[in-house]
Amino acid sequence: MKDSDVIVLREPHLSLGDQFYLPQVLIGLGTTMKHMLRTLGGQNRVIQYPEEKREDMPVEKGGINLTTYRGVHRLNKDEEGRVKCVACFMCSTACPARCIHIEAGEAPWADREKYPVKFDIDELRCIYCGMCEEACPVDAIELTHLYDIVGLTRQEMIFDKSKLLRVYDKTVKDEPM
Amino acid sequence: MTVDKAIAWVLDLPAWVWITIIAHFLVLGTVAYLILLERKVASWVQDRIGPNRVGLGFGIIPGLKDMHMFGLGQPLADGLKFIVKEDYAAKSVDKVLFTLAPFVMIIVIIISIAVLPMGGIRQLTKQVDITLPAQGASQQQALAQLRKDADKDYYAAAPARDYVAPDGTAHQVWDVTYRYHFQIADLNIGVLYVLAILSLSVYGVVIGGWASNNKYSFLGGLRATANMISYEIPLGLAVLCIVLMFGTLNLETIVDQQAHYWAGFIPAWNVFSQPLAFVMFLICIHAEANRAPFDMAEAEQELVGGYHTEYSSMRFALFFLAEYAGMVTTSAVCVALFFGGWQIPWVDKIPFIAHLMPDANHPSVTTSLIVCIVRALVMFGKTIIVIFVFMWVRWSLPRFRFDQLMMLAWRALIPLSLALMVMTAIVVYFWAPEPGTVMLINGWAALALLVGNAVVLVLSMGISMILPAAPLTNRKAYVPGSRYRRTPLPLGIVSGGSLAGPRATGSPVVAG
Repeated sequence: MKDSDVIVLREPHLSLGDQFYLPQVLIGLGTTMKHMLRTLGGQNRVIQYPEEKREDMPVEKGGINLTTYRGVHRLNKDEEGRVKCVACFMCSTACPARCIHIEAGEAPWADREKYPVKFDIDELRCIYCGMCEEACPVDAIELTHLYDIVGLTRQEMIFDKSKLLRVYDKTVKDEPM
Repeated sequence: MTVDKAIAWVLDLPAWVWITIIAHFLVLGTVAYLILLERKVASWVQDRIGPNRVGLGFGIIPGLKDMHMFGLGQPLADGLKFIVKEDYAAKSVDKVLFTLAPFVMIIVIIISIAVLPMGGIRQLTKQVDITLPAQGASQQQALAQLRKDADKDYYAAAPARDYVAPDGTAHQVWDVTYRYHFQIADLNIGVLYVLAILSLSVYGVVIGGWASNNKYSFLGGLRATANMISYEIPLGLAVLCIVLMFGTLNLETIVDQQAHYWAGFIPAWNVFSQPLAFVMFLICIHAEANRAPFDMAEAEQELVGGYHTEYSSMRFALFFLAEYAGMVTTSAVCVALFFGGWQIPWVDKIPFIAHLMPDANHPSVTTSLIVCIVRALVMFGKTIIVIFVFMWVRWSLPRFRFDQLMMLAWRALIPLSLALMVMTAIVVYFWAPEPGTVMLINGWAALALLVGNAVVLVLSMGISMILPAAPLTNRKAYVPGSRYRRTPLPLGIVSGGSLAGPRATGSPVVAG
């Protein structure tokens, strides 16, 4: 390591105001004070959850569109109350996070060949991308607008078929198929 | 001891005990709420609202659970967290010093609030009945007796009347005036005391960084030491300018002397007569408190936590509180030195208030306790404003690089403060008072000081432009394989051996 190995950088030339630094400091302080006064005057966009919720606000103000929001999954039922899913495994294959596990079985109804005996979605592994919704040929699986589902154990958050059908019962009124 | 005697004993306690207790708890409570204020100010600057959920109910007390109270219960929750958190020390730390560091820091900072002038002086006149000795005593002897019995707050005494008691002895009733200082300790060397004690707070940082047996803490402690020691010099010199003006180190006197008016309506505060000293003092106390932009020592993005990385729960809480308490103390000293301390401008022109100030030469003396308490609150309010400026600056300015920080102290602030001191000395020479008295800064002297400040500023800026450039402190060394190999060398630098890139040979390279 010789002295000639040292590269001397020339720093950009500063004007007198910049060198003195205090004028720039005062301008900076003015910017922050402007932000402070704006926030104190109520112009911030902070949503006070749980008093204000995004689903109650219009989309222009930061709310969510109930029909397109990708939340928790549900299994749709048809007019006779049977599960629509035909256990084709397309959603399971399309899922990037591999969180859908299906067990197919022979359908007890005449107009269908297969139906899911077990349909488990691990809601914690899910990345809520909606690929399963797009892949389904019979519109059996959909993502609802529910986002505040919590559980105390990881086991609780693996939704089985009955739970997914219960989500359908809860959301079909607000979010038709 | 019966209840009456206990109450009487409590009420008889000297004033300084009450002031000590109240000031101590007020400072500690303020420090806890300053943490909340810091978070709130940070949030407002960043377009969000700070903690606003923890009311005084902690979320569990049934009646108060839903009252959010703007998050005012947050410091209580923080305190609870600090108390119940696990307190551990890594195996390889120095056992004694690791525990000692936060103690040193917090003790030093707390005892420095002792000299802050909080409310002025309260004058109280009591009637004291003295029994004159039997052989035709003189007033001098009675006075000597009175002085012997009185405490240090004694100020003056005058005989009011004589009478003879039923049992034949001669009595005299004297009006004794006491003057109580609203300070914990009225030291004649107040300013020196504060500066000396705050210098000791460096030890807490040094010991904490060293005892942690951790290279990041060590670096943080090293940087903090260099930082704090370098900025003590311009701090002392800026304070010295004020001390030169008044000729006294007593904080109460300095505040007293600022309590009059120039031209009838401008309050005689030092910020108007020596703004450059004020700005330098402000910069130095930011550096002393290790606050941004001088927080190299606890640079969260670089050193994890700096010197307090290894500390947890209560030890960390002590460091944290010591930092904020240092802010409180130095802000209070700043207010006392530059903003007229407890003075409320223009209020003592109201006849009803002027009636309560018996001494025209010493506006700090008042006969009413209410006025003293209001003054203490005013001083507190001004201190909070200065602390708000601390926080405002923290979230506005980028951090100084360590060499920039050193350069600012040694190459900029020290020469400037020396020049300022010389200027102050010249002005004081021309307006010199009689030896032994405290100088009263009248309007013309203040104007001369203000002009002198401007002259010092302009001259120093001019001279700094003429002076040759200082040696570069920021040089980059070539590391094999690094990207600096591809940076073109500046014009005129001779490339060295085989380490230079192929572009550097032959053709001239334009500087980047």
